[in-house]
Amino acid sequence: MRIRSLPTQLVNQIAAGEVVERPSSVVKELVENCFDAGASQISIEIEQGGARLIKIRDNGCGIIKDDLPLALSRHATSKIASLKDLEQVVSMGFRGEALPSISSVSRLTLISRISDADCAWKVVADGSEQDFDPQPDPHPPGTTIDVRDLFYNTPARRKFLKTEKTEYVHIETLIKRMALSRFDIGFTLSHNQKEMLNLKPAATETEREQRIAGICGTAFIENSIKIDFAASGLQLTGWVGLPTFSRSQQDMQFFYVNGRLVRDKLVSHAVKQAYQDVLFHGRHPVFVLYLTLDPALVDVNAHPAKLEVRFREGRLVHDFLFSALHRSLADLRPGHGIIQQSATESPPQTQVVQNVGWQNDSATQQSTPGFDNKPVYSLRPPLPLHVEETVQAYASLYPKPEPVAQVQPEAKPLGHAIAHLHNIYILSETAAGIILVDAHAAHERVTYERLKQQYQNGAVPSQPLLLPIKIKVSAAEADLAEQEQAFFTSLGFELNRAGPETIVLRSIPALLGNTDMETLIRDVLADMAEHGMSRRIQEKSNEILATVACHGSVRAHRRLTIDEMNALLRDMEQTERIGQCNHGRPTWIELSTGDLDKFFLRGQ
Amino acid sequence: MKFIINREEILLPLQQIVSVIEKRQTMPILSNVLMVIEGDQLTLTGTDLEIQIIAKINIATADPGSITVPARKFLDICRLLPNGAEIKFELQDDKVKIASSRSRFSLSCLPADNYPEFAESELENHLFINAGKFKKALDKTVFCMANQDVRYYLNGLLLNVSNSKLKLVASDGHRLSIYEDNLDQPTGFESRIILPRKGVLELSRLLDDPEAELKVEFSSNNIRIFIKNLIFSAKLVDSKYPDFGKVFQQEFFNQIHIQKQFLKEALTRVAILANEKFKGVTFDISPGSLKMSTHNPEHDEAEEELVIEYTGEPLTIAFNAQYLLDAVSNLDSELAVLTIASNASSCFIDEPGDCGYKFIVMPMRL
Repeated sequence: MRIRSLPTQLVNQIAAGEVVERPSSVVKELVENCFDAGASQISIEIEQGGARLIKIRDNGCGIIKDDLPLALSRHATSKIASLKDLEQVVSMGFRGEALPSISSVSRLTLISRISDADCAWKVVADGSEQDFDPQPDPHPPGTTIDVRDLFYNTPARRKFLKTEKTEYVHIETLIKRMALSRFDIGFTLSHNQKEMLNLKPAATETEREQRIAGICGTAFIENSIKIDFAASGLQLTGWVGLPTFSRSQQDMQFFYVNGRLVRDKLVSHAVKQAYQDVLFHGRHPVFVLYLTLDPALVDVNAHPAKLEVRFREGRLVHDFLFSALHRSLADLRPGHGIIQQSATESPPQTQVVQNVGWQNDSATQQSTPGFDNKPVYSLRPPLPLHVEETVQAYASLYPKPEPVAQVQPEAKPLGHAIAHLHNIYILSETAAGIILVDAHAAHERVTYERLKQQYQNGAVPSQPLLLPIKIKVSAAEADLAEQEQAFFTSLGFELNRAGPETIVLRSIPALLGNTDMETLIRDVLADMAEHGMSRRIQEKSNEILATVACHGSVRAHRRLTIDEMNALLRDMEQTERIGQCNHGRPTWIELSTGDLDKFFLRGQ
Repeated sequence: MKFIINREEILLPLQQIVSVIEKRQTMPILSNVLMVIEGDQLTLTGTDLEIQIIAKINIATADPGSITVPARKFLDICRLLPNGAEIKFELQDDKVKIASSRSRFSLSCLPADNYPEFAESELENHLFINAGKFKKALDKTVFCMANQDVRYYLNGLLLNVSNSKLKLVASDGHRLSIYEDNLDQPTGFESRIILPRKGVLELSRLLDDPEAELKVEFSSNNIRIFIKNLIFSAKLVDSKYPDFGKVFQQEFFNQIHIQKQFLKEALTRVAILANEKFKGVTFDISPGSLKMSTHNPEHDEAEEELVIEYTGEPLTIAFNAQYLLDAVSNLDSELAVLTIASNASSCFIDEPGDCGYKFIVMPMRL
């Protein structure tokens, strides 16, 4: 067998194998091109689930006539020009592979017109990257790409396509996700000439929330809080669902890094940890989050479909996400105490990471007319290190107590206790209606948070072992244990290496007296190898504190006096994460006067 | 099968047997007691498959046979009959009829054939020991055994026989107790076995007569102890006991002599305000004086000062008060002797003079 170079079309078909898996991947690549072209309106037409036709039209910057053949050639792109650009990609695409790959497995037509050209030009491509013959075409400024008969020449791929409906659903899900990443762009999606989605550009906060409600359901907006955190050059905005609004699957979790939807292990780990001990067992949180950071700090060139990214400072990003989400969940409490606090306190504006190479350098900008205005991170002032929450979001969650006349002199968010129902639930009258509190669950959380605070403030007592525990681990894990000795020591452990694959545990934290240390240490090392950090030990101590809290809290069926109940309500107002008990069960619910009126058809 | 027996004769053996029978069972027959009559002897057997207790009672009038009856119900019936009652026990078809003066009971039972056999290998090692001596050895050690530790060999008691020397050791990894004694007759062998926790606790309950002579037989898998009319058998923990010898190979500070009662009382008082999860108490020891202090997360504080006999460098060390109290409470003398390793890595507690036992408590770092 002699070695020979493959024909161009075959090369492109091989590349297509990676990038073009199904119709929705074609749509993804093409819509990303529209984003990069600076379009403000994108229309997508699908026929037969995309197998027959995918037609995408935008009003972006268009392609110059002479560049059309290049656009359809491999490794030709306007998005990056040098390695330096690759290290800080600000556009969605950069590989220069999408169009030739798609054209090699379908009948592709490209029509494009730049704004000051006399007419549009049209080329037809088959993946062979030759014989381009631009024809004039009456097309408004922008680009249309028409992909027909996907996989007509690769029957194996065609066989793997699912039903028309399934493929269409994939496309629709994808468009919805992409729509969440760019509120400034309008989308229309039609299937078999029927309009399925029509999303107008959303400029205001309400319009954005409407778009989210349209995609994630209105319940999501009603049960989420808007967050906006910034620190060390990272910014996290978006909406996170309340712990009570959880799902049994991880299907409503959208995370965008610089506008790009990613599924990242590091991210999901950080989120999971932030929701620890407020989420009911086996439930998953919902969120739509946007992380904005210096493009140089994230490597998007890690996955052909760019679903995974690599963070240069993984630990920093993880800690930032964790603390931002943890904070925002902790601050969920009746009333809006935290907002007033953050409004009056002037946040410390220290230490801001220098945003080196944050903006595109001017040369790249000139050569890429479409990108200069769009990406959200392009011209952001250094991010201040303070936390702020949006007052409106809270206000919509907890209706502001209207100053109703006959209620108690001072209106407390959780109101004043009236009775202890069945010796379990506290009935409380608030300005806005009534509140029912599960006394045990609420007191459990109050005690638990207090205990955690106390233990975090003190030193960590450690108990040396008379009979040290030998743990057999892999050599890599033993290395890791040695490296992270400071971490273990700070938590009350004393670990030594006793051989290439053995570590010896000589002291343990006194609090964790009777837990299975071997398993714990193994799990911690596994976490560290995978995520670079572990909060398992803290979680374990928290578990023990939770048990202590559970035993130390008033039990259901213990009769409480009015004063005791009021004291509990006041404590609740001050406690972090009070919405759920340690096991993620809700602690209180509210019935507004409006709800009550509805029961009795009042005012109708 | 039929017999008549006095309540007093059957009650105690029955109670001893029922204590090994688990309350909740997946195998119904295990909650029953096996009753066999052969000649003029009634044999009662109870087991949880790990431990087995057999009691033998001589009776005068009996028809031979065997059956199993629900242990707890049978015990309760015997227990609640009046003192000195004659109990008539008779198997009719598949029911057991129990009668005593005007009381009549009919118990459902299961056939004896299905009663699980307690597999025992040949027991090659024998020794004889006085029950009182053995009971004392157990008392000084059992409290240090671990409970449900993943290192399963710690959930038991090490029995080390070396010719005429007997050594018992128990530890939960944080503290250790060690008891040494001499046997009256040399055994001529050397062996180390681990008795399971539950077996040790049951055994210790059976040793109520300090005068009795015990015959102990064991192999590497099983142990059998003859206690008067009882036979106690248990499966052994199949593992190697960890090496604790290193703890003795270190330098020590001078001995500290403290009045045991004062130490106990002071510790108990101070512990009120210690962290309730691990009871940390700090000892500041200087010549002639011991100051103990503690505080908890709620910022309560406690302090006590004791007069002690100590000469040497002042030192500071912290302990789990509970561990220390357990150890001190098990001392027989009025005076407690604390010997602290010179790097403050462990503390030995025993009596002045040679007493045959020692407790070791690991300190804490607060």
